[in-house]
Amino acid sequence: MQLWRRKSLWLALSVSWLLILLRVFPVLRLAEPARRQAGAPQSWPRWLDAELLQSFSQPGELLEDGPQPPQAPRAGSCTRGACFDTSRCRGGGLKVFVYPAVGPISETRRKVLTSIEGSRYHTASAAEACLLVLVLSPDTPPGECHPALPQWAGGKNHLVLGLHPAPCLRIFQLGQAMVAEASPTVDTFRPGFDVALPLLSEAHPLRGGALGRLQQHSPIPGVALIAVAGERGGWYTAGTNFSACPWDGRCEQDHGPKQTHPGVTLPNATFCLIPGRSPDAVHFLQALQAGCIPVLLSPRWELPFSEVIDWTKAAVVADERLPLQVLAALQEMPLTRVLALRQQAQFLWDAYFSSVEKVIHTTLEIIQDRISGASAHPSLLWNSPPGALWALSTFSTSPSDFPFYHLQQGSRPLGRFSALIWVGTPGQPPLKLIQAVAGAQHCAQILVLWSSKKPPPPRWPETAVPLTVLDGHGKASDRFLPYSAISTDAILSLDAHSSLSTSEVDFAFMVWQSFPERMVGFLTWSHFWDEAQGRWGYTGERANEFSMVLTSAAFYHRYYHTLFTHSLPKALRTLADESPPCVDVLMNFLIAAVTKLPPIKVPYGPWHQEARPPPLAPGGPRLGAEPQPAAQDCISQMAAGFGHMPLVSSRLRLDPVLFKDPVSVLRKKYRSLEKP
Amino acid sequence: MCASVKYNSRGPALIPRMKTKHRIYYVTLFSIVLLGLIATGMFQFWPHSIESSGDWSVEKRSVRDVPVVRLPADSPVPERGDLSCRMHTCFDVYRCGFNPKNKIKVYIYPLKKYVGEAGVPVSGTISREYNELLTAISDSDYYTDDITRACLFVPSIDLLNQNSLRVKETAQALAQLSRWDRGTNHLLFNMLPGGPPDYNTALDVPRDRALLAGGGFSTWTYRQGYDVSIPVYSPLSAEVDLPEKGPGPRRYFLLSSQVALHPEYREDLAALQARHGEAVLVLDKCSNLSEGVPAARKRCHEHQAFDYPQVLQEATFCMVLRGARLGQAVLSDVLRAGCVPVIIADSYVLPFSEVLDWKRASVVVPEEKMSDVYSILQSIPRRQIEEMQRQARWFWEAYFQSIKAIALATLQIINDRIYPYAAISYEDWNDPPAVKRGSVSDPLFLPLIPPQSQGFTAIVLTYDRVESLFRVITEVSKVPSLSKLLVVWNNQNKNPPEDSLWPKIRVPLKVVRTAENKLSNRFFPYDEIETEAVLAIDDDIIMLTSDELQFGYEVWREFPDRLVGYPGRLHLWDHEMNKWKYESEWTNEVSMVLTGAAFYHKYFNYLYTYKMPGDIKNWVDAHMNCEDIAMNFLVANVTGKAVIKVTPRKKFKCPECTAIDGLSLDQTHMVERSECINKFASVFGTMPLKVVEHRADPVLYKDDFPEKLKSFPNIGSL
Repeated sequence: MQLWRRKSLWLALSVSWLLILLRVFPVLRLAEPARRQAGAPQSWPRWLDAELLQSFSQPGELLEDGPQPPQAPRAGSCTRGACFDTSRCRGGGLKVFVYPAVGPISETRRKVLTSIEGSRYHTASAAEACLLVLVLSPDTPPGECHPALPQWAGGKNHLVLGLHPAPCLRIFQLGQAMVAEASPTVDTFRPGFDVALPLLSEAHPLRGGALGRLQQHSPIPGVALIAVAGERGGWYTAGTNFSACPWDGRCEQDHGPKQTHPGVTLPNATFCLIPGRSPDAVHFLQALQAGCIPVLLSPRWELPFSEVIDWTKAAVVADERLPLQVLAALQEMPLTRVLALRQQAQFLWDAYFSSVEKVIHTTLEIIQDRISGASAHPSLLWNSPPGALWALSTFSTSPSDFPFYHLQQGSRPLGRFSALIWVGTPGQPPLKLIQAVAGAQHCAQILVLWSSKKPPPPRWPETAVPLTVLDGHGKASDRFLPYSAISTDAILSLDAHSSLSTSEVDFAFMVWQSFPERMVGFLTWSHFWDEAQGRWGYTGERANEFSMVLTSAAFYHRYYHTLFTHSLPKALRTLADESPPCVDVLMNFLIAAVTKLPPIKVPYGPWHQEARPPPLAPGGPRLGAEPQPAAQDCISQMAAGFGHMPLVSSRLRLDPVLFKDPVSVLRKKYRSLEKP
Repeated sequence: MCASVKYNSRGPALIPRMKTKHRIYYVTLFSIVLLGLIATGMFQFWPHSIESSGDWSVEKRSVRDVPVVRLPADSPVPERGDLSCRMHTCFDVYRCGFNPKNKIKVYIYPLKKYVGEAGVPVSGTISREYNELLTAISDSDYYTDDITRACLFVPSIDLLNQNSLRVKETAQALAQLSRWDRGTNHLLFNMLPGGPPDYNTALDVPRDRALLAGGGFSTWTYRQGYDVSIPVYSPLSAEVDLPEKGPGPRRYFLLSSQVALHPEYREDLAALQARHGEAVLVLDKCSNLSEGVPAARKRCHEHQAFDYPQVLQEATFCMVLRGARLGQAVLSDVLRAGCVPVIIADSYVLPFSEVLDWKRASVVVPEEKMSDVYSILQSIPRRQIEEMQRQARWFWEAYFQSIKAIALATLQIINDRIYPYAAISYEDWNDPPAVKRGSVSDPLFLPLIPPQSQGFTAIVLTYDRVESLFRVITEVSKVPSLSKLLVVWNNQNKNPPEDSLWPKIRVPLKVVRTAENKLSNRFFPYDEIETEAVLAIDDDIIMLTSDELQFGYEVWREFPDRLVGYPGRLHLWDHEMNKWKYESEWTNEVSMVLTGAAFYHKYFNYLYTYKMPGDIKNWVDAHMNCEDIAMNFLVANVTGKAVIKVTPRKKFKCPECTAIDGLSLDQTHMVERSECINKFASVFGTMPLKVVEHRADPVLYKDDFPEKLKSFPNIGSL
């Protein structure tokens, strides 16, 4: 008895001690390393019972929240859905009516009105319009801010546009109208509804525009790193190693070598520091034009067109409270990023800001994008050259359909082409040409655009590729209509009188595939400034350089047909119809304005020229022709229409690698390019 | 004794005897057991600093054991959120200081349990998702445990679901955080804001200046550039396995899967279905579900039951309608199924809309246009729909699929605001990996023809061939557009000739001495290079004429982003050996130009020296070969464009040489060069070189035209 009692006592004792020891020992062992080592971060604990934690929502809670009726728009606040009736734009898309000016009209306002009237969205009838624009003037006295507008209707579907800070905008009863205002403050701006405009100077040109000043991609060595926007529109540059806060006036003495530029001279520096106050917004455009990367210090105003433009690619928005960090970051910014920012700033200037017309058209394009919803411009089209004004979303919303974005998309243009042969008077079917083109390796189809008064022959020769006859209406610009029959990216545009060999076509198409955004042609013209007459001229004489290729034998992207038909002002197309050689000039102007690059010339056998039929009837053959005197003037008129001379000259021709080399012809792929 | 116990145990006299003898025994026994229990318990509940770090670095303990904080009823409540807050007004950027890595530091407060004065908990301590979220932050580069160095503070108070917390007391709990300071630099996460009946679109907890990462913001409550709009996490993301389904047309054109919809919407949907029949499928709750099937996983149309979320993969477009809240978890499920969301919730701020381009992945339709939704969708081209389907799935994978993805995207957005010069680009946020791989962004993308007046800098790499070097210098100096000549003296054992011995030329001539005889010295971005155009030329290229060089410079001006050179080469795929082969025969094609005589933009010197991928630079220096091929790879890879070979010239060193450029054409040379191509192709992971069939000649080259009127007559010999 005693024995078992003692035994059980011992047992209990030892069990308890064992329990204690088992518990204590691991703790003792753990206790030491658990002492916090300096530097070893203490992380969020891994809970032993993490698996048992409840979810943030009860089962079914995510499904069963109490239904809510659709909400009515709150008073005083507007979004596109609530205050803009897009159904009025159904059918014809955006139609813009602008209230005519009453009484004396300021220069700026006249530019705005002209720009809107020149837009392809403009309509003269207020009843037809789905957007009504009211242009405010900075000089309207506050008492006359609210003219009696018959269609006002609480401001619905209205856009109140003030290119300069207008006192009226502050006191105007805006109702449900959208506001397009220069540099609106962040607090009053309604994203997705209002439009932020740039703050332009009074002298901003109507069209064409002040060209960007960037001449080279990388910063010029020795040019100041930073320019600072000063008072009264000036800039001063400072050496690269100034290290104080030069924009808040506190460190006045630290400016270092300082240069003051009076007036509106453009800054000459890599970065342009612009303070955040609203009046300083005018510096922003100066910086863009100069190709100086804007560094905005806590801007209190909304950046222009921020709805569509990705400003992080072109400007640096920094916190004005961290001057030293900003300076250090600018000094240490990798060259790759500096290059990208510089070029993007310049591209945006050229694409959207360089003229009043571009600013206005961009504004309308943004509203059109809002209306069109899913078929709006993708961000890539807004933010890479040539910009959304040149990349029509009505053509496609898929970037790889355009000639400009193949690199970014990792895509290639379709590997075949359509030959489009224009037949004017006298209406001879170009049988020889059809055979030559149909024999080309990558020809997909032949389209004959029959523009002669004579009816087309009922039978056409058998060709290896399908041949379609399209009905032309005898107008010269008809050849650039976006025919739906064109099924390939590339078009080989030809005249009935063109003479080409299969080999020439093959080689030219190979070249075009490397340059799908340019025109690749055989015959060239060049433009020149006629000092004596004070105007532009052009010539078909052979020279060491050229700036245009003739569309009577040229490869280009089918997108340019859409662009030619839908984006050019009607006046220019009419001009081209009246004098057929002008069609060539106009197409070259258009492509040069879009790409800012010259066309490409490929070799053309001299024997073709000899075989060329002599004299030219109007609308007839133009192959290699000297432009007629009557047509000479159209280049000047077109330069006026574009606002500047977009043509760019080139001094090179692309030949096959072994072209005319003294090596065996058997080595050469394009041997018949050298002899017929 | 035994007997007596037995005996006594039967009698009532037992108890007094127990008292004396057995009591001691039992008391001892019990006390020992008790001691054991107490000791066990004590160590169980010992302060955790000792037991921490289960596997030495990570703490393991229970959520139930966290310290309890009692909030007095009169403890301060923060102000309501300030709607005018912007980063530059409400955010204290000084706390972020300057960080060379451009990363903000985030501190997480330790977990505590908050109870009101009566002892009633303020909320559940922490939800599974919030724990995951804090773990994700803690595991990221943003995390710091040093409260004094932190720039952003994340409370461990779980605010994800407003329904599971008491608003006023939670606010009091926030206010007593050690660094609260009116909420400055505090980041709160909330997915389900508001509560019945009016369901506010932002968290109702007063939070003063704190940033809110909220699911379901409307434009009225969202502070643009300050708050972050986040998705409502769908727990199905983790529960259900839903493999990706490729884009393309699907069985239903439009599908609605939400169960709690306002009757008005139901009517609209029913009308849509009536009008378009089979193409539209409207699902609702199942009325007769068998036991054990979770309601969240089934949807019904009339009597037909469908598995959810699998059914979403059967539709091209999926409706995401506003419910009581704007933010709906169904958005996450829809994206995951690769179904294009049709978002009908006016004023809803879409998740991460600050950086994500929702136009590419969704269709937003105003509520009043709901009846037209079918025709709106029908007008979208098929290719664009497929693009959107792909984009939707990618958004889910990158930013919706886990709490971790949501947390890190939120922090990245705030980080980008604070360090804008190091911010992630639109393409990084929005382009799916397949597009990123295929796309090239030319670093010199602006179409620009540099002015001729600037000229070019010729760089001659030389070792000791002084005589030939002087001849090259004399020849090059005749080129009108030359603006400076730089000789890179690569011989450390021998001094360059004295100044007086050098040829007298009309432009500045600089000699740079290098520290080591390396081929990469020729591509160093020397400060002396002031022009954008660089002509790299070997010290034995004596046959290039002044016309050829001047023309080459003119061609470069028209193609400033390309290598424009004279000796053309080609790479070929060797089908027998199954690898790349170097070709120097006179072929009809060109894919490289050698930098023994080539113009290029000086930016490529910077890229070669500092951004060359992999070990190529060292490899070239070690092998003393192929720097020119490496340059061709580099330029083709960043620009995606082909080289331009200029003029017919094929011989460069001496007229009588039969070899193309005097470089030995023996077998070993060709083998080495082929090896280089294979090596570089494997480092780049692709073959960037582009093959073309053209070269650049002057416009009137070999034309029947008076020679003296041609700009570049002296071109044409091989």
